[in-house]
Amino acid sequence: MTILHRSPRRLPRRLVALAGAALLGLTLTACGDDAEEVTVGLITKQEENAFWVTMREVAEDTAEEENVELLTATGTSDTDVQSQVAALESMTGAGAVGILIAPTDSTELVPAIERAREAGVIVIAVDTPVEPESAVDALFATDNFRAGELIGRYASAEAAERGFEPRVALLDLAPGIRSGELRREGFLQGFGIAPGGPPPASVDTEGDRDLARAGMERLLAADPGINVVYTVNEPAAFGAIEALEAAGRDLDDVIVVSVDGGCEAIKNGVRPGTIDATAQQYPQNMAREGVEAVARAARGGEAPAEYLDTGVQLITGDPAPGVESRDVAYGVRNCWGD
Amino acid sequence: MHRHLVAPFVLLILCFAAWGAAANLTDVLVGVFRSIFDMSNFQSSLVQFAYYGAYFALAIPAAMINKRFGYKAGVLVGLGLAAIGGVLFWPASELLVYEAFLLALFVLAGGLSILETSANPFVIAMGEERSATQRLNLAQAFNPVGANIGVLLGALLILPALTPEPAKTIMSPEELRASQEQDLSLVLGPYLGIAAVLVAIWLLIAFRRMDLPSVPGAEAVPSGSTVGRLWANRHYRYGVLAQFFNVAAQTCTWTFTILYAQDVVGVSAEGAGWYLQASLILFLVSRFVMTWLLGLFRPTLLLLIMALFGVACCAVAIFSLNIVGLLAVVAISASLSLMFPTIYGVALHGLGEDAKYGAAGLVMAILGGALLPMVHAAVMDRVGAAAGFVVPGVCLALVAAYALFDLRTTRDSGAPEPAGTP
Repeated sequence: MTILHRSPRRLPRRLVALAGAALLGLTLTACGDDAEEVTVGLITKQEENAFWVTMREVAEDTAEEENVELLTATGTSDTDVQSQVAALESMTGAGAVGILIAPTDSTELVPAIERAREAGVIVIAVDTPVEPESAVDALFATDNFRAGELIGRYASAEAAERGFEPRVALLDLAPGIRSGELRREGFLQGFGIAPGGPPPASVDTEGDRDLARAGMERLLAADPGINVVYTVNEPAAFGAIEALEAAGRDLDDVIVVSVDGGCEAIKNGVRPGTIDATAQQYPQNMAREGVEAVARAARGGEAPAEYLDTGVQLITGDPAPGVESRDVAYGVRNCWGD
Repeated sequence: MHRHLVAPFVLLILCFAAWGAAANLTDVLVGVFRSIFDMSNFQSSLVQFAYYGAYFALAIPAAMINKRFGYKAGVLVGLGLAAIGGVLFWPASELLVYEAFLLALFVLAGGLSILETSANPFVIAMGEERSATQRLNLAQAFNPVGANIGVLLGALLILPALTPEPAKTIMSPEELRASQEQDLSLVLGPYLGIAAVLVAIWLLIAFRRMDLPSVPGAEAVPSGSTVGRLWANRHYRYGVLAQFFNVAAQTCTWTFTILYAQDVVGVSAEGAGWYLQASLILFLVSRFVMTWLLGLFRPTLLLLIMALFGVACCAVAIFSLNIVGLLAVVAISASLSLMFPTIYGVALHGLGEDAKYGAAGLVMAILGGALLPMVHAAVMDRVGAAAGFVVPGVCLALVAAYALFDLRTTRDSGAPEPAGTP
């Protein structure tokens, strides 16, 4: 089901700020925004995941600052293609000059995207790429290879510091999903595992906590001495931790790394130290840069860049020597969700 | 009050509001500078060291200015220096150098220190003696109003408009510098505004004829025997220490409320400012409640209870890393609300003529606000954002110890203590 609505207008911050300044006799010039109003659409995958909620909220704030009317729509799950097709059509009909879309399917949505572009709409894929990449005007997303590389370098340095003989396990996403593949490849390179060598033990988890726990139990049955665990996302990390604890392993003897940077994992995983480090990505940047890029292009400015890396930071409470990282407080300040 | 002094009195009331605003805007600045310059908590806490250090350092020079040149000169020097400090934010924001802001803050706070030292007796001298207390209370009532405005300015004008940290992760060096300039311009605005208000007050006071009584010479310098008597009085000596730790606890709590909200709970910068605002409002309301309760209980018993309540709040803040911990941080302000006047009164009780000199020592305990926030910040950097609240917790425990000491000790009225007494 698609939910299409216009973001409500809020009291402009400048007016509130002006009232505050007046209290001390300050005179601020009213910085009226002269830019013409344009309409931009944002289509996310669902509202259950805090990642998408944060993306919508930041898009709404940015739209307010940029004199943009924002149309938003979302589906019911990460695989709800029909809702996104319907939203593309309705937003195009509503006069959107540009649409940001987090595609639920990299190929099935391409025809609908092409129809929108033929109607003159700028389409930017956010978070997830489409195939072929040329089907959209631009991709604003995390560099997943870099995210994997960061936690790979951390895990390698930390293992060396703790004196581990590394026995690595990989909790992957699923075959054929590019973001998961890139994270895995990045981790292997960052950790220093050569592409041609024997691969570490791995299972597919679909990023699901329960599947990750079951997968980790199988890996531990095969090798009880696993001491470095790569997880493709944080639900998988929590599943792996449950399996490790159930197996009686002391988590101080295992390095668990992950990718995402959601608030639950930062507060309940990285802060207590059960997740040693995570690569935090920023849906805030995808939304802000996306809305600004479309508004700028629609007003005669430069077209959006083909690819924008929306940033990633390594978050840990236990920094490893030689690996640049941010502390837990930074992670809490900039995480998404509650 | 003489009719020609009504306008200057109103202007002085604005001064009371101005230094309240500047002091609590500084609480907001610690987090703001940390964000803009991407620095550690310890480095950003130097803001408070500059501010309260200047207050401490300029207190005695202020008294000397008043004695030699009179209250009006003291007020004008204070206003002028504070205005210069505010204006210095402009070159500092052009230079994009943190130390330049610290210098500007030091000058601003130095001016406000002189202003505060001069304005209180100035207000008393502006009219008849029988209404002096009334005038002073009226003027001082505007200090917390200014304090709330200071936080409001930060919460409305600075915090919501700062460049988000995630945005900085994808900026080029040029874009990063531009974002720093933009963010520092947000800081500049309120301080230039404060400077403009101070200059206006300076002009209005400077060019207005005021016939005021001269500064009593007897208030100049205490004799050595006075200092000796004061030091020998344990209620006074420990009172100065208790005041030092009270001011330290207060400054730590208000300085790090916003950072706790952001770093521990994940509240947005915009939302975090409102928790500090809530702390100040709670402080204000609690003051009235405590005034009523002080009529029912012995002051040091109430001080003991509230200090222990503050310690408990700090413990909750350290161990409950969520909204409960944040509410506990806000609640510390309730415990702080009675401390300054209560310690002040207990420490000076029974000192007679020595009280006027003893008061200076209690005011100089403001040094706690300069030093302990740095310790708090260092703990945050090494152990974690919440763990820093062990510092105000220990400070409040020492205040509780002072209250307990007073409750369990008979007064010696400054009599020399037997050898070996700690």
